[in-house]
Amino acid sequence: MLKTIIIKELQNNLYSLRFHISFLLCIVIFAVGTIAFLKNQDAKMQEYSKYRAEFRNELKETAESNAGKLAVNKRAFIWRPRANAFISDCKEKYFPNRFIYSAYNVYGFEVGPGGTNPFLSTFQDLNWSFIVSVVLSFTVLLFTFDTISGEKETGALGLTLSNSIPRATVLLGKYVSAIITTMVMAIFGIVLSILIVLFSRKVDFTSAMLMETLAFMLLVFLFLSCTAAIGTFSSVIAHKSNVSLLISLTFWLVFVVIIPNTAIFWANKIFSIEHSDVIGRKIYAALEEHRRSAPPGSASSSDANPFMPEHKLRADLETKLNDAEISIKNAYYQDMFRQLERTRLVTLISPIALFDYMDEAVVGGGYARFKKVWADLHGYQVQFLQFFKAMDAADPDSPHWYNPWGDYSTTKKPVAFEQVPLFDEKPLSLAARFSFLRNYLVVMVFYIAAVFSLTFVLFLRYDVR
Amino acid sequence: MLWKIAKKEFLLNLVSARFVIGFLLCLFLIPFTVMVNIDDYDSRMRVYRVDKANAENSFKYVRVYSYLRPEVVKPPEPLGIFCRGISGNVGSRVKIWLGEKPLFATGKAAIHDNPLLNSFFSIDFIDIIAIVMSLLALIFTYDACTREKEEGTLKLQLSNSLSRHKILLGKVLGVYLTILPIVLFCYILSTILILHSPNISFSAGDWGRIILLFFLSLLYFTVFIFIGLLISTRLKSSITSIIVCLFFWVFFVFIVPNLAVYMAESLKKVQSYDNLQYGLQDLNKEFQNKCDEYYKKLETPDWGMNWNHTWDTDGRRILAGCTKSKMEHWRKKFVFSEPLRVDYADKKWNLQKAYLDSLDQQRNFAEMISLISPSEMFRLVCASLCRTDVASHYRFMDRVRRYRDELIDFLRDRNIFSSFIYFTPQPQETFMSADEIVRIRTGGEFNTLQEYNQWAKAHNWSLAPLRKVDITGTTFGEYPFLDLSDVPVFRGKSENLLAGLKQVFLKKVAGLIIVSVIFFYLSFLSFLRYDVR
Repeated sequence: MLKTIIIKELQNNLYSLRFHISFLLCIVIFAVGTIAFLKNQDAKMQEYSKYRAEFRNELKETAESNAGKLAVNKRAFIWRPRANAFISDCKEKYFPNRFIYSAYNVYGFEVGPGGTNPFLSTFQDLNWSFIVSVVLSFTVLLFTFDTISGEKETGALGLTLSNSIPRATVLLGKYVSAIITTMVMAIFGIVLSILIVLFSRKVDFTSAMLMETLAFMLLVFLFLSCTAAIGTFSSVIAHKSNVSLLISLTFWLVFVVIIPNTAIFWANKIFSIEHSDVIGRKIYAALEEHRRSAPPGSASSSDANPFMPEHKLRADLETKLNDAEISIKNAYYQDMFRQLERTRLVTLISPIALFDYMDEAVVGGGYARFKKVWADLHGYQVQFLQFFKAMDAADPDSPHWYNPWGDYSTTKKPVAFEQVPLFDEKPLSLAARFSFLRNYLVVMVFYIAAVFSLTFVLFLRYDVR
Repeated sequence: MLWKIAKKEFLLNLVSARFVIGFLLCLFLIPFTVMVNIDDYDSRMRVYRVDKANAENSFKYVRVYSYLRPEVVKPPEPLGIFCRGISGNVGSRVKIWLGEKPLFATGKAAIHDNPLLNSFFSIDFIDIIAIVMSLLALIFTYDACTREKEEGTLKLQLSNSLSRHKILLGKVLGVYLTILPIVLFCYILSTILILHSPNISFSAGDWGRIILLFFLSLLYFTVFIFIGLLISTRLKSSITSIIVCLFFWVFFVFIVPNLAVYMAESLKKVQSYDNLQYGLQDLNKEFQNKCDEYYKKLETPDWGMNWNHTWDTDGRRILAGCTKSKMEHWRKKFVFSEPLRVDYADKKWNLQKAYLDSLDQQRNFAEMISLISPSEMFRLVCASLCRTDVASHYRFMDRVRRYRDELIDFLRDRNIFSSFIYFTPQPQETFMSADEIVRIRTGGEFNTLQEYNQWAKAHNWSLAPLRKVDITGTTFGEYPFLDLSDVPVFRGKSENLLAGLKQVFLKKVAGLIIVSVIFFYLSFLSFLRYDVR
């Protein structure tokens, strides 16, 4: 019986105007979005390789003139434009886009200029994730808002239930068919998008991307099940289809517009962290304290004589200053991570936000990628420092007084650029992705179960007359 | 008769579920958004106060002119509570350097403290109006003709001696009467909330702009009424009509804004910021080479020691306690380097300007595409009204650049680059020779620099003997701060009510009016031919 209902509903849906309009809209945006992505990615990669070449040149020049400078100079790591961003860009252009490091420390992350054109209003890329979370979530609501209330108005619901069909079957049939209908659109769009990518040959569609696509489809299925449940829920709490439409639109507005866009407010109200200027003052006070207690001569330096005794004092003082600054900053960064993670928890009420976070794990982007780079860069820095110390140890002209801020009392010999370890970003491992995804997945399944069972209970009591 | 129809429509709407839900939606969303934005304004204000204090200190506690690098801090725009525009993307602080013209303002991340939160977007009053009012307009008009046709009342009405245009106008009026109180309510509610917040004060001109915002909202609303009406007169069933209306809504309000910017990003290429920086670095190197070449020609001073010496980027340097010839050496360096630095800033500006222009072209392109959506047109006009649009930012940056020129002119006119006060607070008459310094500092242990050098050579160049006796006037703290009362300061110009609005009104507001007239005309024509059976 369930099968009959699903087939009947599917036929109804597929022949309906809403299907035609949304299918057209969906396919067009998928195509336009992918084409625009490919053009954009091409330009971005050109700029990025130019940047990398300049970066390596500069590094090479420094390495071949003075290894001390190579260790001390602060550099920024900028992540490469992700090739699978047509699935989801995870709003990476708004994330901190430069990680500052030297051989001695990873100093922090910044939102520098150059992430995106500041004169453009904030926007989302037209990638799969956007289309699913905005267009398809809207479409699935349009397919579900009148499943019950609409049939009640036309009297069809009463007729259907006068047969010996359990209500559960009716509800499930309608629910499943709405999901299938929108999944059809999603699959068509995704396949079209992949075809465009394959034919353009600007981006390699790797086997990893294929896996990501499959995982993404699974997420889309879960997400659409969730929004369909919300649509059906709106349908059983009202007796008129126009009222249930308004209710489902309200839900949609709250989930798409209100909750994600007011997250900063919640972050600052509920999970506030100390202001950056307060931290700045704290650092200043700590540094001043060290400077005051430093023995005289700690600020002296001579470029000509590395063995000048004051250089030892200077190295000691500047190591202390550096450590003090880093320890305050690192604690602050931990606060920032916590604040973001907790704020994300609050926004989980919105399935759209939930879907966005799950995407990050699937494509290995956004915050998941950020944390990975942050951790890896720390590992690299340790390796870089070891390399430098080994080099320094071999130099008889160096007193080996390590100073994170200057090359006065360490080796100033050149080093072959080929030997210098370089940082390269590695993609997230499967295990890391799954552990990032796991909790969100549990919430999503729970969400669907809760909304659908609530809908079911309400439908059991629904007055079909 | 017109009024009767309007009244009937109004009363019907008033008791409908859509009115109740729409009203509740506004009742919940508007105060919440306004509160969120007031909170945001308060935190901007807090950041502004901190920045302002820092900027004032950097102007106050200066002992030499080379360290005079004023910072301009832009106060947050109170009208930004209504429409944030691009104020969240561009910073509010601009440091004035000699070696570079201001390109961007900095300090945007400070508003959130946590740059990771940038991945969340924000929403303002105008966004809510743009989203909710257009939805309400469509929801009230989608069935204007179709419902009455379905119920058969349209046929009945037209069987009387009632002209079709009167019915259409009556319906429009009815919807207007229904929504007007909601819009008015939104504005009054937000005004009350703003008046209750202690940090915000609006000038008379600002209130004028808020009233303009209100009328603009009505105009925007009108456009969507006519879109709804047109769709309603073209279709035969209400359910089809609402589906079409909603897709238009999603397209205009949610897809076009993202589509426009995304298309602009991929079609209009912009050089990356980091590559621009590499270009600038090359010029910096060229500048440094020219300086080094010139420095080689200078006579070497008798003693290279700088007793107290602090330096920073952009030629900032403060010295005290070096020998007379060393001071003269530094002075000669600055006489050459600082005017050259300013010249190089102009050279760099060519690159920067090209970069800025490409960013602006990209934005322009995005704006052009976004004009297919009335809600984007509305948002752009509102941003201009609230002074948070790109043009306002450009005006501010232009003023800052002019201020930099003024400051440089001041330094040049007073010959400050070629005077000692540019880099040392020590008066010229207290400069000493190398031997004098060695004699006093070592307490007579060495009488000449040569004697000390001989000793130091054997003792790993230790400075210890030189620390025996201090010479007064060789630490910076002993000198007062400069009197900077005659240095030009940046003045934020207050703008009058209509400043910068002429272009916007000529283009975009006229565009909105034309669009609404066209839609009205089309729906009118369509209704005249509507098959009411």
